[in-house]
Amino acid sequence: MASTRYITRVPDVDFSHAPEMAPYLDEPLAMYVGAPGKKGFLSLGFELDKDGKSILRHLDRRVPIVVQQELYFDEELPGMPCVYILSSGGQYIEGDRYQQDISVGKDAMAFVSTGAGTKIAPMRHNYAGMIQNIVLEENAYLEFLPEPTFPCAHTRYICDTRMIIHPTATVAYAEIYMGGRKYHNDELFQFDILSVCTHGERPTGEQLFREKFIISPDLCRLRDTGIMGSYDVFANVVVCTPEDTARKIYDATEPYIDRERHLAAGITHLPNGAGLLFKVLGMEAGPVKKAVREFCSKVRQAVKGVPIPEEFPWR
Amino acid sequence: MNGNEEKLERLTLLSHLMQFSDAMFPVGTFSFSNGLETAGYEGLVHDAETLEQYSRSAALQAAYSDGVAALHAFRAARKGDYDAVVEADRYLMLFKMNDEARLMLERMGKKLAELADRLFPTDIVKRWLADIKTGDCPGTYPVAQGLVFEAAGLDERDLFASHQYGIVNMIVGAALRLVRVSHYDTQEILYRLAADIPALYEKASRMKLDDMNCFVPQIDVLASLHEKGKMRMFMS
Repeated sequence: MASTRYITRVPDVDFSHAPEMAPYLDEPLAMYVGAPGKKGFLSLGFELDKDGKSILRHLDRRVPIVVQQELYFDEELPGMPCVYILSSGGQYIEGDRYQQDISVGKDAMAFVSTGAGTKIAPMRHNYAGMIQNIVLEENAYLEFLPEPTFPCAHTRYICDTRMIIHPTATVAYAEIYMGGRKYHNDELFQFDILSVCTHGERPTGEQLFREKFIISPDLCRLRDTGIMGSYDVFANVVVCTPEDTARKIYDATEPYIDRERHLAAGITHLPNGAGLLFKVLGMEAGPVKKAVREFCSKVRQAVKGVPIPEEFPWR
Repeated sequence: MNGNEEKLERLTLLSHLMQFSDAMFPVGTFSFSNGLETAGYEGLVHDAETLEQYSRSAALQAAYSDGVAALHAFRAARKGDYDAVVEADRYLMLFKMNDEARLMLERMGKKLAELADRLFPTDIVKRWLADIKTGDCPGTYPVAQGLVFEAAGLDERDLFASHQYGIVNMIVGAALRLVRVSHYDTQEILYRLAADIPALYEKASRMKLDDMNCFVPQIDVLASLHEKGKMRMFMS
């Protein structure tokens, strides 16, 4: 990949066109929207080096996004660079705008996560927004398994993730959303809005799938049977992978409703042979993270022939 | 047309509206339960109250996805814009996240397209049916409903109300065979949930195709259990 393929100018991130964000467009009274330090940008480019080793070839970032040095700590895939994304500013606050671009070149692989949960602060005037672009070339492999996202009371957050996936590549893209800070004044489902859209396409521009969910306690009764019911945590894993690999993962994954552990999971196929969609509902972050990791381990097993190791005890 | 003729024409239109909203309308509605078969088996839906919650969740999901596509198809047909009909059709399939939901939309859509070809053989209906048969477009049920209501001279509000009624009626109809509820319960639910339709229409009618959204994770998990399970009284 030539370095010219990466953008260098920090792009504007604006969701004022999204009708669900229309009530939240007032200028914050503190720092203005997208002020320095509130306009985070990250561009990660993983490629093979001349010896065929996956490396982080390209890194560009703007505060408050920070990434740690890539490490090769995965015992099952010791050749895979692992990168943790951090935010030096702490929580996302109103008026924050972020863009994260991750590309994985031909035959390369990478693991990306976050150093801790993403907290999204209470808001009064505006919202926090994130755009992500994930590009996978031929035979590329990416695991994107961040820690959970924690909305607070009156959080407004919108995220748009665009994936451009070569038909031979695989990405496991996971998101875990907590209902709120349930042990802080019972702050559960008191956010204003979470609007999350993930859409996939081929490098030719052929559209594959589009999933958008708007979670808003004001717009629907989240506790109704069919929506969250009595569950507090929700996880969504999008797996884009070739159809034969998808079939293996699908066959190896059983959906369940486990009343003892109060955990439920389901799997289905994305449209247009794009891959799979796995969903988990639970009460606490730990068991949901474990279910997501176990599922992603099946993805890795099907693609790379090895499982994901046990999570570090301090995570 | 004088006032009396207009009133008489409205009677014909009302009759069309009832025909297309009838649970016995031959598109196979009765063979789908929208996940209720598993919800009943798992005990998540076990009485009138949980059935009403489940129906309300499904109606909300349908309003902001299928309902939006139906309205776009209706408006496109009224303008004679075939490409926009196909765009609504394809967009809805991009958005449908489980196999059985896609199967339901395609089966019922094709049946309604074939029926529409008999009732209103317009250029758009004929071309759309031909494209469904060659696989050039998916042929989803809400888009077929949009074309049928437009061709019959009905209003887009009629379309939306019929669409929402159809979703709830499908679920409560299946519930009589799956859940311990009475006819009185299901009719009360249908009657009460009709009151939600105006507010849903207000939002759905202003949405672009890429504003379509849906958040029913519990129904998604149930759909997955049905998809991989062996229960087959219903096809979803």
